[in-house]
Amino acid sequence: MAHAAEHAIEETTTGLNHRKMLMWVFLGSDCMFFAALVATYMVYRGQSLTGPYPIDIIDVPITTISTFVLLCSSFAMVQALSATNRDDQRGIRIWLLATAILGAIFIGFQIYEFNHFKNAGLTLGTNLFGATFFTLTGFHGAHVTVGIIWLLGMLVVAMKGRLGPASSLDVELVGLYWHFVDIVWIIIFTLLYLIAGFDTGPAALPGG
Amino acid sequence: MSSSQQTEQSHHPTFQQYVLVAIILFVITIIEFFAIFPDPDLIGAAKIPVLAILSAIKFAIVIMFYMHLKFDDRMFTVLFLAGLALAFMVGIAVLAMFTALDGKPRAFASAHAVPYEKGEHGVEHVKPTAVPIPTVPPAATTPTESAAPDVTATTAPEPAAEPAGGSGTGASIDIGTDGDALKFSEEALSAASGSSVTVTFNNGSAVNQHNWVLVQDGTKDAVATDGTAAGPAAAWIKPGDERVVASSTLLNPGDSEEVTFTAPAAGTYQFVCTFPGHNFTMFGDFTVN
Repeated sequence: MAHAAEHAIEETTTGLNHRKMLMWVFLGSDCMFFAALVATYMVYRGQSLTGPYPIDIIDVPITTISTFVLLCSSFAMVQALSATNRDDQRGIRIWLLATAILGAIFIGFQIYEFNHFKNAGLTLGTNLFGATFFTLTGFHGAHVTVGIIWLLGMLVVAMKGRLGPASSLDVELVGLYWHFVDIVWIIIFTLLYLIAGFDTGPAALPGG
Repeated sequence: MSSSQQTEQSHHPTFQQYVLVAIILFVITIIEFFAIFPDPDLIGAAKIPVLAILSAIKFAIVIMFYMHLKFDDRMFTVLFLAGLALAFMVGIAVLAMFTALDGKPRAFASAHAVPYEKGEHGVEHVKPTAVPIPTVPPAATTPTESAAPDVTATTAPEPAAEPAGGSGTGASIDIGTDGDALKFSEEALSAASGSSVTVTFNNGSAVNQHNWVLVQDGTKDAVATDGTAAGPAAAWIKPGDERVVASSTLLNPGDSEEVTFTAPAAGTYQFVCTFPGHNFTMFGDFTVN
């Protein structure tokens, strides 16, 4: 922990690390970004005049599996940070790689889902459901993709043996971002799949 | 790294605690999954609050343990929760702007919304020429601009689709759409009372479904509103609507159809497309002499 102690001498007016604070401010503002998209989805929920409607194509079981995958990736992420703090070089690489792979599997599920929806006749321009669904889940997928790239970048640094207790903040920051993407998905999964996944056409307006 | 972090380094959860957190998250997700299956109404109205609470618990567990807010400086919690609170307000504001208290869209917004949808999902259509191509039923019409004995199209923006003479007392009228715009190719049509009229409606739009509905004067919006309520299964026309004189079925892009009816008593009537939202721009006057 000698390195960490040296690092701590870096003084800030708040006594808190600026990079970490910046990350939290960013995550707080990203909440608003997703809130706008989620609210837009809820506004237009049940307003599509033509199909396909959610009940026609939303596949809750498959998405539950991809949700599990994303939860697993968050677990792998905390293990990566834990390994970094222990200076467990092998652990750092394994868990960072595991996190990135699980994230990639989640994206794979999403690509499969988007493709399936497209073949079933739902695109961004088909109806209000398509427009709001793809915009919301697409932006989440983009966040996950950015996270994967970041994780792979950290993996390269780890392969050079440059990650350890002194640089645990680097791993912690990507971890914060990654967990945030996970909690956004928790919200999206509940709203778009569990609650709104059985919505039908305009005859049945939102039940709540 | 700040001094506060160092002291809290030892407070980070252990491996066992992380596993426990992961198991709790899994279990909650499984509960959520079975709360909606096999029957979506298994727990009825409690479904939404139950799911909301379970998700909130998952959300809280992740930010407290995985993101270490429980062990970290409180400033980070304040920053994040401030953003989260603002996010809730953004959501409430957006919902309040567009949705009334009963959960239905605000009347003004819904009345002025112009729906957009494709006839064939994801299929690119060849854009038709600006002038609608009149469908020529065999031996019924000729695409020349000769005036019919008792039927004329007047003040048309695109006089290309003038009707031509029919046989006997019958009259033929061709009408199309103004390309992809939510407008008919004609703004006014006329016919002689009591004559047999055949209207050939050609949906020249590449993207929208349309119909052609002849209604009593001044009732186009009321008929369309009731049609919207009747839904797509009724082809956007209320079954048995007494204000409707004649109507085509709902035509897909590029389709056409002949509607034959006896011109009603002399007076002014309206024609309109009753597809939701189209009635505001897609209508015209039908004069019976």
